[in-house]
Amino acid sequence: MGIPLEIAGLLEGYRKKAFKPSEAVDAFLKTIEAVNPGLNAFLEVRADVARSQARALDAKQPTDGLPLFGVPVAIKDNFLVEGWKATAGSRILEGYVSPYTATSVQRLVDAGAVVIGKTNCDEFAMGSSNENSAFGPCRNPWDPARVPGGSSGGSAAAVAAGCAAISLGTDTGGSIRQPASLCGLVGVKPSYGRVSRYGVVAFASSLDQVGPFGLTTWDAARVLEVMAGHDPHDATSSRREVPRYTAGLASATLKGVRIGYAPAWLEGVEPEVRARFDEALAVLRSEGAVLCEVALPHTKYALSTYYLLAPSEASSNLARYDGVHYGLRSKDARSGEEIYTRTRGRGFGPEVKLRIMLGTYALSAGYYDAYYLRANQVRGLISGDFFGAFGKCDCIVSPTSPTTAFKLGEKTDDPLTMYLSDIFTLPVNLAGLPGLSVPCGLDSKGLPVGLQLIGRAFDEQGLFGLASAYERARGKFPLAGEKR
Amino acid sequence: MLSREEVLRIAKLARLELASEAEVALYQRRLGRVLEHVRELSSLTVSAESSVRHVPADADAFREDVVAPFPNPGALLQNAPHVQDDHFVLPAVLEPEAE
Repeated sequence: MGIPLEIAGLLEGYRKKAFKPSEAVDAFLKTIEAVNPGLNAFLEVRADVARSQARALDAKQPTDGLPLFGVPVAIKDNFLVEGWKATAGSRILEGYVSPYTATSVQRLVDAGAVVIGKTNCDEFAMGSSNENSAFGPCRNPWDPARVPGGSSGGSAAAVAAGCAAISLGTDTGGSIRQPASLCGLVGVKPSYGRVSRYGVVAFASSLDQVGPFGLTTWDAARVLEVMAGHDPHDATSSRREVPRYTAGLASATLKGVRIGYAPAWLEGVEPEVRARFDEALAVLRSEGAVLCEVALPHTKYALSTYYLLAPSEASSNLARYDGVHYGLRSKDARSGEEIYTRTRGRGFGPEVKLRIMLGTYALSAGYYDAYYLRANQVRGLISGDFFGAFGKCDCIVSPTSPTTAFKLGEKTDDPLTMYLSDIFTLPVNLAGLPGLSVPCGLDSKGLPVGLQLIGRAFDEQGLFGLASAYERARGKFPLAGEKR
Repeated sequence: MLSREEVLRIAKLARLELASEAEVALYQRRLGRVLEHVRELSSLTVSAESSVRHVPADADAFREDVVAPFPNPGALLQNAPHVQDDHFVLPAVLEPEAE
């Protein structure tokens, strides 16, 4: 029996004793060895650590007590995993060794998951193509001349290429859903507060969320039900109870579900993406969903709002990289002031510096009211749009990204062109809502297209049910070409 | 478009050394491009009430402020570029007085 790539298949294989965790982990490590030199999806792989974790599981029985028994997981390099490096894709953290483990990762490990590697990402999660990594771009397993999306590009590529069964990413403006869309995966940005951010490198704290990538909705649901929930180490993590998201997925239905879409929001979408989106709407309708038009008049201001608020928060969060507490320090600095300016000037890449400066500008005396304060007010209007729409429908759908995977270098010259990759995902973070991307077809180049489902706050369960029912109606989605 | 001087002022506030005139010109161009776009927000009518968000928050996120020592402070210090006796080492903050 070959080693399955999905959680459900792995668990079944373990139960039937078709293979052991150490054999499965070896198979995934072999895939990494074969495909990672071409993809650059991983920044660190510790085969010895993964193998010894897997061997420890070999002696145990796969039980319901360990819902991720022997499941290999890849972790974005902006999470801390004790003893592993954590660069967040930046030179400024080169050589940093994590002194503790992020709560989200710890919960996966406690559930039996095996950390197989740390994945490439845009520096400090700022980017939509993974080209802003200080350690070179990651490539898309569907076409290595193209980007996997970003910022969690390595985590998406790792699962799409069969290097890990599941992976974790962070999503501040689309960094899980957009790469999931571009790599043909399910990716989830949970509601703000659903998952602890303790041990995750902060980018924009009013927007950042941790979420899973998987080949199926069931896999993503399993990961989220394990890692969601209150954490005393993160005051923003919610005390709401975590439902068992996987329960009832097999019987979830679209019958009578009211699904909203906003026609004006869809302007400017690549024609083939629009076509796949329209086909997905037809599938939803034929499964009994009731489609209705909703108005989200302020979503068109989400990009401007986001690019004032997120950089403002980043300029504050990234002040800690000062050449004093972390790895890099400029060698030729003579004063304290020079340690700060030179370490930061040389340690940060161009996009991170741009965003720090944007945020510094928006928060500076004389500009705060016109930029930061106003953006915060528009954020409220965007949030209000969704609140109003959810009076008419249970879920809102859109394409996840306006395009399929684009070529490396295609959008690096102009920041705005790159930022537009996230026009459908940004408003969801601004409103704090859960969003899920599920594959809904291929374009004529054979590249995946994603359908975004947006739910009411903390209604991840509803989203998983709809995505699962949609998946069944859609049929099996192909895997990226390069498989073992 | 921001002036060269404005870019240098922001870089100074952000404690970022811009190494060359080419780098200053790059940020002048890119900052200008983004700021030009975000100006669209000034055309919207907003009020103080606009910033109210419709996300249910936990009623009470407060807790007692209890000190919990970090179990492994050595691992934290190991990541610093220059440490001596459990302290971060920095150049003197106050310059010796000129003769």
